[in-house]
Amino acid sequence: MHPTLRLYSRSSWKGPYFVNFPNLRDALRSNTQIRTQARACTILPTYIGLRFAVHNGKDYIPITITQDMVGHKLGEFSPTRKKFHYKASKNK
Amino acid sequence: MVHILGVLLRDSWPAKWAFRKFYGIGAHTAERICARFQIHDKAQMRDLTPQQVAQISAFLSAPSTTANLPILPLAPARFKPPSTAPVPQLQSVRKDPLKELKIESELRREIKENIAHHRMIGSYVGRRHAMGMPVRGQRTSSNASTARKLNRIERRN
Repeated sequence: MHPTLRLYSRSSWKGPYFVNFPNLRDALRSNTQIRTQARACTILPTYIGLRFAVHNGKDYIPITITQDMVGHKLGEFSPTRKKFHYKASKNK
Repeated sequence: MVHILGVLLRDSWPAKWAFRKFYGIGAHTAERICARFQIHDKAQMRDLTPQQVAQISAFLSAPSTTANLPILPLAPARFKPPSTAPVPQLQSVRKDPLKELKIESELRREIKENIAHHRMIGSYVGRRHAMGMPVRGQRTSSNASTARKLNRIERRN
């Protein structure tokens, strides 16, 4: 984790920020994807094995939650920027 | 000439600068180390006794296994210790910050592991490291030369 995150981290009495997803247990059982725009939601241990589709401002990027992702935010796995590459235009 | 953990520390160097030669020890930690071994502010490396040097090198080779610091309770000037009673052994309530000190290869390994963790889970941080780009939202149109130099999956420094 970043040292700055530790320094200016959220107060511990608040606990981690997360969003209550409805039917979390059903989604885990039926392996359905959860479409969400809550990029700031912390990945909780209960999410392990779930499939999310996290909004990046344009599309929904599919991610599968593993053990190591716990404690990170959903948005970290859904990049918002495209890498620039030059395309030569055909019609000038 | 003093050798500590294979690093040459010159006699003429002030002690509180000399410890900064180790990767992972900065100005603050160096002063903490000086305070722990009762090295005064202006002491040069030549002023250290061989005993102090041995203590420091033992400490730096394994900071986490060092003994707890004793608490020396403050007493008024006219206090006379009772001769029969044993001296009470106090335990420090505060955590010793130097116990978690990591230097040199241990610290480098930790940094590499952190980067590898981000790369493995595929987070934005890991991705930026793999691209050799700044990680924390800095500009990339110009500058970013430190990131291009350092940010690798297998970071060298």
